This record gives sequence, C-alpha cells and structure tokens, in this order.
Amino acid sequence: MAMKFRSSRRCREGKGDFRFQISDFRFQISDLRMQISGMKRELAITTEVIDEAALLRQRALPDDMGAVVCFLGVVRGTEENRTIRAIEYEAFQKMAVHQFHQLFDEMEQRWPVASVRLAHRIGVVPVREPSLWVEVIAPHRSEAFAACQWLIDEMKRVVPIWKKPLA
Amino acid sequence: MINVTVCFHSYFKDLAGAAQTTEALPLGSTAADLLKRLHQRFPPLLAMNNSTLVAVGVEYQGRSYVLRDGDEVSLFPPVQGG
Repeated sequence: MAMKFRSSRRCREGKGDFRFQISDFRFQISDLRMQISGMKRELAITTEVIDEAALLRQRALPDDMGAVVCFLGVVRGTEENRTIRAIEYEAFQKMAVHQFHQLFDEMEQRWPVASVRLAHRIGVVPVREPSLWVEVIAPHRSEAFAACQWLIDEMKRVVPIWKKPLA
Repeated sequence: MINVTVCFHSYFKDLAGAAQTTEALPLGSTAADLLKRLHQRFPPLLAMNNSTLVAVGVEYQGRSYVLRDGDEVSLFPPVQGG
C-alpha cells in the first residue's frame, strides 16, 4: 500500500478549472500551479523503505532559500524499557493525507516555507530503520527549524497513525 | 432513523472484535449517542471512552456532532505517528 500526493492547495480545494476536466494532465498542471502559487509539498505514506539518499538527490533548492532542515525519525530498540525488534505502524490513510495537508496549509500561512517534503513509513519497521523523514526549506534557519518542529509536533497530535511495538 | 457506518482503528479493532459495523439511530442523534450505543454492543470500548477520538469522514468531530444519514464515523485511540 503506497500513496503519493503532490499538489497546490488551490488544486486540492477544487478551485482549479481543469483538474477534473483534463485528467490526463492533472499532475503537470498541479506542478505548474505549485511553482506559481506557493509552497511546494510532497507527501508519501508508504510501506516502502524510506530511501534518504534518493530523497536528497531529488531536492530542488531555489536560489533565494538559505536553510534546509531535515529530520529523520528512526525506530529505537527499546520501548518503555523493553527491548523490541520493530514497530508496526498503522494509518487511517485517507484521513492522514487530509490532516497532513491541513498542517501544510497552516505551516504555509505561519512561515515563509518554500518546500516541505514528508515521508512516513507504515507497516513493520525494524529497529534502526527510519519511520519518518521530513525536509523543510525556508529562507533562514529560524523559520526552517520552527516550522519543522511544529509540523512534527502537530503530526503527533492530529494525524491518525498508530504504532505497535513488536517484541 | 439514520444509518451510519462505524470504522474502528488501531487496537479499537481488537476491543470491538471487528473493523467495521453499522448502526441505525433516531434522527438527531449525536456522536455521544452513537458511542453509548456502541459501548452497549462492545463493552471493552467503554474503558477507553475518555480518550476515544471521533472523526466523521476525514475530519475530527466532538461528541455533540449531529450525525447524518450515511455518515462514516471512525473511532480510534490517541494518535502516535513518527
């Protein structure tokens, strides 16, 4: 099970004129609108391994951006003082995507962020492997750090993903 | 009467012994009314009442939300992503 979603807020809200009429060109058009209208956003909630090197290779850094904050969340070998071998993540996928995009919308309003990319792995994630990767690009470090910290805190509060430690 | 679909997520599936069920309720029933009905049908869920989160579709809703015919209600424990 994997889902990738990439669009501007206007497109997701259905304000675009052609999203449903010219479906073959939907993604090209949404990419174009992202460049015109605001913060780039990429979201993946996936059972696939998070390939940090590939994500870094895909980074697009605008000339006027001076700060890139990346966060990698990794499965620890202990949970509540007990040794574990993995964590099994479960998502209510449809709602998780919606809630993530609501957070992206709010982040765009609060900070001058040019780009956010987030990958959350679900399913069984072994110890030492990443479950979460977040990249925030902004003009300066203060807003990049603040936005990234806020996004992760809010994700843990509202995005319907759960974890079950596996001994 | 209205009919709603209820989906359980995370360990609420184990507590209910099901991933999904349906309920028929009187017109004007709230999410709180639905929870009372579900607690009678699935008693293990009652212990989690205070921490139960309610969503309709993809939006969180409070206990006073008035249900509509065809609503898809999701019940789940506090989230833990990351």
